[in-house]
Amino acid sequence: MLEIKDLTVRIAEDGKEILKGVTLSVPDGEVHAIMGPNGSGKSTLAYVIAGRDGYEVTGGDILWNGTSILEMEPDERAAAGVFLAFQYPIEIPGVATMTFLRTALNSLKKKRGQAELTTPDFLRLIRAKAAELGVTDEMLKRPLNVGFSGGEKKRMEVLQMTMLDPSLCVLDETDSGLDIDAIRIVADGANRLRGPGRSMLVITHYQRLLDFIVPDKVHVLAHGRIQKTGGKELALELEKSGYAGFAGKAA
Amino acid sequence: MIVTLMKTEAEEALARQFAAVASSLPGTGVAAARRAAAMDRFRETGLPHRRIEEFKYSDVRSALKTAFAPADVQAPIVDANAIEAALGPVASLDADRLVFVDGAFVQSLSSSEIAGVTFRRFATGQPTDDAAFSAIAGANPLLALNEAFASDGAVISVDGARKLAGRLLVILYLHTAREPRRVTTRNLIEVAANARIDLVEVHARIGTAAVQTSTATRLVAGDGAEVAHIKIDREISAATHLSLWDLELGAATVYRGFQLTAGAGFVRNDIVARLPGADAKFDVSGLMLGRGDDHVDTTLVVDHIATGCESRELFKAVLDDRARAVFQGKVIVAPEAQKTDGKQMSQALLLADDVEFYSKPELEIYADDVACGHGATAAELDESMLFYLRSRGIGLAEARSLLIESFALETLEKIENDDIRAVARSVVITWLGADL
Ligand SMILES: Nc1ncnc2c1ncn2[C@@H]1O[C@H](COP(=O)(O)OP(=O)(O)O)[C@@H](O)[C@H]1O
Ligand SMILES: [Mg+2]
Repeated sequence: MLEIKDLTVRIAEDGKEILKGVTLSVPDGEVHAIMGPNGSGKSTLAYVIAGRDGYEVTGGDILWNGTSILEMEPDERAAAGVFLAFQYPIEIPGVATMTFLRTALNSLKKKRGQAELTTPDFLRLIRAKAAELGVTDEMLKRPLNVGFSGGEKKRMEVLQMTMLDPSLCVLDETDSGLDIDAIRIVADGANRLRGPGRSMLVITHYQRLLDFIVPDKVHVLAHGRIQKTGGKELALELEKSGYAGFAGKAA
Repeated sequence: MIVTLMKTEAEEALARQFAAVASSLPGTGVAAARRAAAMDRFRETGLPHRRIEEFKYSDVRSALKTAFAPADVQAPIVDANAIEAALGPVASLDADRLVFVDGAFVQSLSSSEIAGVTFRRFATGQPTDDAAFSAIAGANPLLALNEAFASDGAVISVDGARKLAGRLLVILYLHTAREPRRVTTRNLIEVAANARIDLVEVHARIGTAAVQTSTATRLVAGDGAEVAHIKIDREISAATHLSLWDLELGAATVYRGFQLTAGAGFVRNDIVARLPGADAKFDVSGLMLGRGDDHVDTTLVVDHIATGCESRELFKAVLDDRARAVFQGKVIVAPEAQKTDGKQMSQALLLADDVEFYSKPELEIYADDVACGHGATAAELDESMLFYLRSRGIGLAEARSLLIESFALETLEKIENDDIRAVARSVVITWLGADL
């Protein structure tokens, strides 16, 4: 279970306060959506969960399965099961996608005390998962994310998520820039991971993705706080009324 | 007359050494006269220092505090196993070899016959050598010093029948001395029209002592020739490595040069290229690896003389501790050289606060219909890339080395031959792994 308790975060560089007391919980096996206007701090929250530098947590806590993860390094969090599908996946020239996947998977296996995969097992796994997500061999041979289209990058994120077997998946705008067919592919990928051992936080600006990944709960983030929590119908309401209704509730 | 007053200890020593060894250096009387003239030219300028524009960032005079004694050209017998060990990954190359030990050719370690290639030593004492001897022209004082002291080298002709690159040709320079020594060699490589060859120049060290290397190579490629030309310097903490490539490429040649410098004290790599024929494709690139107090300089001049030539340069530096790298790249486009297409890039990865990278691109364009560009970057490891890798479970140290490796290895894509690329890769990985 993910528990975010009264989390306050500011940008380390300029001291700007972005999150002003975010509280929410995602029980095991549930999928929660976070919706909010641009600039409301959705990515900030995702990065703070994953452990990116440059954000200063000034109060509150993030617990994963009862333990605070705030002091953990990003790779330790990954070993504990945290996975962030980036809104803007990073291009890494010179690192072949295949090499990267293998290095990441084996690092995680090692940290989790599991046996590393043999080359044939690894290849079998990657081929099967890549095919499900329409990731071609040619993409796997290229340097990581370099020259990938927006849609290819998002499929690569979901492929990584599938390969690395996380227990907490944070998807940051995985739908942005995708056409409807591509959304279906990545949503199917995410849905295959739904299950009792896994919690998901699906961040999106539009309701559209939630037609495919149907959430158990929807939280509205605006002005640094969760303004409203409801069922999946809340997403539809927001689609009609927009976020303007939350303007008055600024801190 | 006041020149003497300005001489450094090293310059004095060089003059004394020349007086002592000149008569025993190989060559005819003509060659001897040329050596003496070269030494006179050198004496006028002395070692280049930072007040000379081209050496602004690489003060050879202060780097070369002492001049080591010239290596004994009666090459010691070296054990084949020791050579293989010194060569590291280069040893596994399936290649023809020409081996020079401490500046002298060793037939017993070299291939006796190379398909499509004739080889002779510089230093046979034949009058025919005279022309070859002075074929490398230029005002660089280091070149004059090289001409004065050159003890040996390869004169290679690749004949027009060699239509495929064929087996690699590796020229090895091994240093075995147990005392600090100076080794001076020069090569002349002539590639006939439409011939092909892949050539690798390797500098490595077996001995424990520091080496001062001076090497100069002139390569002339006839029209339509295809040449891959790679230099791998793994002398490792040698005192100094001074290298000069003088390239002249005919019409429609395809030339791919690459220089890998894996941490060798003070290094100056000069490259001078002339493109007098139309439609040549010229690419010279390199990777400079430095740590400790290493100083690695690449200074390049590309002279576009005819129409429609393409030139590409990509030079990268990976710098740690207090290491310094210099890249100076001048591209000259003559008025007649219309449709020249030139692109140059230099990039440094800065791994410590005290490293320095000097980049000086220069374009001198006298033609109006050309596309020339250059760029330079110097950056630390990218935080967002590091975070991305770490968020996938990769530890900090491993994420750093993945990124450093990928930065460095990108340059090796310029090497088309898979075997050479694998060797270069292994040299790079070993160097990087030695201390990160
Ligand atoms: N690293 C950063 N440096 C400076 N400002 C930032 C940084 N990250 C986010 N911000 C600012 O924080 C606010 C929230 O951004 P973000 O979390 O990306 O919002 P969202 O994902 O909801 O669009 C924005 O005003 C953004 O400009
Ligand atoms: Mg965002």
